[in-house]
Amino acid sequence: MRPFTYTGTKTKDEALQAYSKNSHYLGGGTNLVDLMKEDVEKPNQLIDINNLDFAEISKNDDGGYKLGAMLSNSETANHPDIRKNYPLLSMAMLSAATAQIRNMATNGGNLLQRTRCPYFFETSMPCNKREPGSGCGAKDGMNALHAIFGYSDSCIAVNPSDMNVALAAIGAEVEVQKTDLSSRMIPFSDFHRLPGDQPEKDTNLEPGELIMAIHLSKPVFADHYYYLKIRERSSYAFALISVAAGMELKSGVISNIGLAMGGVAHKPWKLTKAEEFLKGKKPDKSNFEKSAELAMQDAKPFEDNKYKVEMGKKAIVRALTQAYERKA
Amino acid sequence: MNDPEKWREDLDSRDLTEDEKTIFDEVGLNGTSRRKFLKQMSAASLSIWASTYFSNELFANTMKDLPENPEVFWNEIKINLRVNDSVKPLTIDSRMSLLDALRERLALTGTKKGCDHGQCGACTVMIDGKRKLSCLTLAATCEEKEVTTIEGLGTPGNMHPMQEAFLKHDGFQCGYCTPGQICSSVALLEEAKNGEASYVTEDFKMINKDLKLSEEEIRERLSGNICRCGAYNNIVQAFKEVHSGDDEMPTWEFATQEQMDKAKNA
Amino acid sequence: MKTLKASGVGKAIDRVEGHLKVTGMAKYASEFPIENKVYAQAINSTIAKGEITSIDTSEAEKLKGVLKVITYKNAEKLKTFDKERPAIATDTIAPVLQDNKIHYYGEYVGLVVAETFEIAQHAARLVKYTYKKFSDPAIRFDELKSKAYKPNDKSDYSRGDVDKGLAEADISIDSVYTTPIEHHHPMELHAIIASWENGKVTAYASQQMVEDATIAISDTFQIPQENVRVIASYVGGGFGSKLNVERHAILGVMASKMIGSPVQITVTRNQMFTNTGLRQFNEQRMKIGAKNDGTLTALAHETISHTSTNMEFQEQCGMVTKMLYKVPNNKVTHRLIPMNLQTPFAMRAPGEATGSFALESVIDEMAWKLKMDPIEFRIKNDTQTDLSKDQPFSSRLLVECLRIGAEKFGWENRKQEPRTNTNGNWLIGYGVSAASRNSPYQKTHSKVILDAENGKVQATIQMDATDIGTGSYTIIAQTASEYLGIPVENINVELGDSDFPVTPGSGGSWGAASYCNGARAACEIAVSELKKKQNIAEEEEVSIAELLKKNNLTNYEAKGMAEPSEEFKKHSVFSFGANFSEVWVDKDTGMWKIKRMVNVGSAGRILNPKTAYGQIIGGLTMGAGMAIAEQTRVEPNFGNFITRSFADYHVPVNLDLANIDVIFLPEEDKIANKMGIKGIGELGITSVAGSIANAIFNATGKRMRDLPITPEKLIDAPLEEGVTA
Repeated sequence: MRPFTYTGTKTKDEALQAYSKNSHYLGGGTNLVDLMKEDVEKPNQLIDINNLDFAEISKNDDGGYKLGAMLSNSETANHPDIRKNYPLLSMAMLSAATAQIRNMATNGGNLLQRTRCPYFFETSMPCNKREPGSGCGAKDGMNALHAIFGYSDSCIAVNPSDMNVALAAIGAEVEVQKTDLSSRMIPFSDFHRLPGDQPEKDTNLEPGELIMAIHLSKPVFADHYYYLKIRERSSYAFALISVAAGMELKSGVISNIGLAMGGVAHKPWKLTKAEEFLKGKKPDKSNFEKSAELAMQDAKPFEDNKYKVEMGKKAIVRALTQAYERKA
Repeated sequence: MNDPEKWREDLDSRDLTEDEKTIFDEVGLNGTSRRKFLKQMSAASLSIWASTYFSNELFANTMKDLPENPEVFWNEIKINLRVNDSVKPLTIDSRMSLLDALRERLALTGTKKGCDHGQCGACTVMIDGKRKLSCLTLAATCEEKEVTTIEGLGTPGNMHPMQEAFLKHDGFQCGYCTPGQICSSVALLEEAKNGEASYVTEDFKMINKDLKLSEEEIRERLSGNICRCGAYNNIVQAFKEVHSGDDEMPTWEFATQEQMDKAKNA
Repeated sequence: MKTLKASGVGKAIDRVEGHLKVTGMAKYASEFPIENKVYAQAINSTIAKGEITSIDTSEAEKLKGVLKVITYKNAEKLKTFDKERPAIATDTIAPVLQDNKIHYYGEYVGLVVAETFEIAQHAARLVKYTYKKFSDPAIRFDELKSKAYKPNDKSDYSRGDVDKGLAEADISIDSVYTTPIEHHHPMELHAIIASWENGKVTAYASQQMVEDATIAISDTFQIPQENVRVIASYVGGGFGSKLNVERHAILGVMASKMIGSPVQITVTRNQMFTNTGLRQFNEQRMKIGAKNDGTLTALAHETISHTSTNMEFQEQCGMVTKMLYKVPNNKVTHRLIPMNLQTPFAMRAPGEATGSFALESVIDEMAWKLKMDPIEFRIKNDTQTDLSKDQPFSSRLLVECLRIGAEKFGWENRKQEPRTNTNGNWLIGYGVSAASRNSPYQKTHSKVILDAENGKVQATIQMDATDIGTGSYTIIAQTASEYLGIPVENINVELGDSDFPVTPGSGGSWGAASYCNGARAACEIAVSELKKKQNIAEEEEVSIAELLKKNNLTNYEAKGMAEPSEEFKKHSVFSFGANFSEVWVDKDTGMWKIKRMVNVGSAGRILNPKTAYGQIIGGLTMGAGMAIAEQTRVEPNFGNFITRSFADYHVPVNLDLANIDVIFLPEEDKIANKMGIKGIGELGITSVAGSIANAIFNATGKRMRDLPITPEKLIDAPLEEGVTA
């Protein structure tokens, strides 16, 4: 690990003021410290924000909830209000990593989790995300774990987070504060970005912006939800493909639907076409299958990840079925 | 007591300490044979059978501090590391992980380095009561936090019930992932009491305290600790026994003569 | 120690060193409190084939706290190989940093020694290498098959005429099975603390065989063997990767010599992919022929594996095919392809684990085609003679293993037709595989030290044996307890120090038989000598306390040695077993889980069922890993391992496993050795991948011939001909 200045902080203002070029805020460290050990992340200052107080869950005036960015994933997923009102989010969060890592990882940090692309991790290999202009090793190399949607010539990596997939299905806003202490809200769908020709940028955060909270709108999919995670071992593995499915039913038809996929794109992939198709339809196998066809219609796999198209369809149908059949 | 060889040589010229006596009771050595035994022992076995029991503090005091030129570091940090109920003032490199601080500076080598990247769980400790990975925790962030390691859970003479259960059910082989497994298991007892959910929990909206975890729940919740020797089944049994309070029976048996005869003559 | 009430061999006592392991007190290599130690970090090459053209160490050297940067330019001269591509063994020299040649991606090209671990790690990245990259690295297995060569005369075997046997068959099958590169990955990272004093070096090192380690280190440095002491009191798993001295250990010894302080090197998990051995890729072509009644007529097993371009290692996948079944026409071949990868080396049941997967799968394929129960098919072709050597087995209870296991498992509930046993989205399958593993036994020395006080005798056993999780401490204590007639509590076992009497070390499933018979020998000699001095007849029963008293002694030492008998050499000595798996496969997602397993083992006298059970489930777990997800992939353009961490290389986690019932057959194989012990550490792994793959066929009708069986492969795989969807 390269040397860096460690700056402890007690308040968010202190943290924001400490920010300088090439600083990183240090939350749980589960991703950042790992990447520093790998010499992928090379900050010259770490601003420790672990002692800051935006680590609470509170109810908003509109009936939604505000999740403090510094709250751990396990505290968030286990919070009674989240389990009751947003069980899809709890389930997705708890599918991730391990109890130890979830105890460390923060909500803000999870939003910023970087890709697991092995070309990104191995500093002797080309990677435009790690080292802009060096090329993409995965495109003509080993790409079984890579994107089938929304990639660019410069990067085909995927976002590895489970939490993000659930948030994409549920809908959310991210509250951030700038170094001048002003704040702004970023719709979740705009928080992460596609690689384009700037794959080094995972998100639309600006330098120095500090994530304060994730805002959820009023409770949704509390009765019919499922987070399906297909992986190479039964636990402690990133998803090959994951699907977050939530639905609400009225008079036997789907009145509201949230459907998003993980492991397929540079950002959590909202399956908008499938959602639109399913709205107002009966929750049956035939409709689920049609929605899955629509969802995967635009997939453009590489040599090694062709399996993701078929697996994706099966995963959508299964997640929708599980969500529907769940006894409310 | 920084060198087992020297320690052995010194034995003739001094009395055994109380700590040492306790240890020998532990390993079943009595009377004058203690001293004789110690002298016969090799350096290696000495540090296995004796010195390790009582030497962590002593070893720690003799472990090297940082090099003399503090300007080596961009950021030299002074912290008070509170480990197993005692406070250790340390001057550290900002890059030092909690894991390396424990192992290389405090001689608390019970916490293991299995991957150093948060991918195996061998370095699991409890920080403020929660199980966390010491390899991805920078020591600098631990000021004012309470760290509990395997050494703080129990000692050979006074084991934590989970340590006893692991011994009884052979929940280990090489022993390297074991401290992490045990710290994880102890923390899990608390998580179950608190009613925390896991990915395999049936219904997230059902919130109860004092969960009685199913085998699948236990396995999922202990999946963050890799055991390459493959002692998982014994680990699950050890956990179950402490969790439920009921005796767990072994799942091995010997074939009976009747079975043998039947098989042969089938 | 409190729960140790029982004594003697055969009792399920707790591990005698267990209290140290569960409290974190057991000391592994990098944990010895050696004064003034400093830290080193090795540097790896970033090309697969070529030469170093220049090295810039200046940036690293000017960093405060850096003590030395070692490269081939300033490294100590070591003994190097005198022939091209020498075969690797457990005591082979390990020259490192001797020239500018690069043989594979990840090869050590330098070492930084520094005051602290953090500085060493950082400085290692500051050493800049430029390379001349050769254009033709051998990194794509499929394109290199034409370069496969026959390593030696022992690579091939045949009896009868396989072509004729296939022609006589009513049904024949020709299938190719592949297994990927796998890594041992013991949880303890390989490590060494090397310390020189007065021309002698002490190495606290994670090694399975300390005697061979002293040979390899002394040979490499060209110093007398007695100037090298290796201490490995506790070894955090090995599985073959710590059999030999790997190059980090040589680097540690070299660095310590060069700077004059003790040096600690801990190999990183990433380096454990490239620098501590691996199980090589194998392509196994199986041909099998049988009559309609199930009589085998032919069996051929042709294996192509890779070795490195600079050393040779051959894992014989076909070993098991030569001896397991009664088949008159049999052919086994092995070919090697030199590749620009790290040299492979023995991983748990080398040859048997991978070979059994192919053999036991093709046996299942044939049983399916014959419409025969796979257990009955195996039993029909059982043999009590090792046809490959034309000599009897010392004992072989494979049929008993299969039948007793079938009953325990509930095999009668298995559906012969795939895809007919379902539960919701799950397809349920039962699979079986036979297990077999050679059970060697080697010359072993030991020393016993008796110490009497107030009528109570304490005994210390010293051997250079290691306990790599196998239970050596415990079973040796039990052996001494039995042969000295004193409780286990009064036995102190000291292992893992090359100053102690020589043993073969831990590997190849010979540990238990060798160590215990070695310890037995010293105890028997002590008793016998003490009796002789007092003219007491050998058969007379006198306690050891009484004997010492009669001799007017308070202490006594004896040395013993055990070695294989002539009878042993005239027999084929194997452990046998059978594994039964119930596997549930998700019909859509391709995810699958092991629901339960039953394993039956016939492995001679079981010294301690608790630790023996551990060995069996340990083998099964690692074997489950072979089936579930373990694979190391070679990047086709750069030649590095794209799976480079525990996040990419998936070893099994707790949730991957399920209940395992283990049945030991009551057996004492006195031909094997005096105590009737056979090996058990590798038996488990030889049966599990096959039984899982067969269960997956039974569940899905898909024959998975390429390990691991990942969800994406299962989704893609076609139904086998004749299976109803």
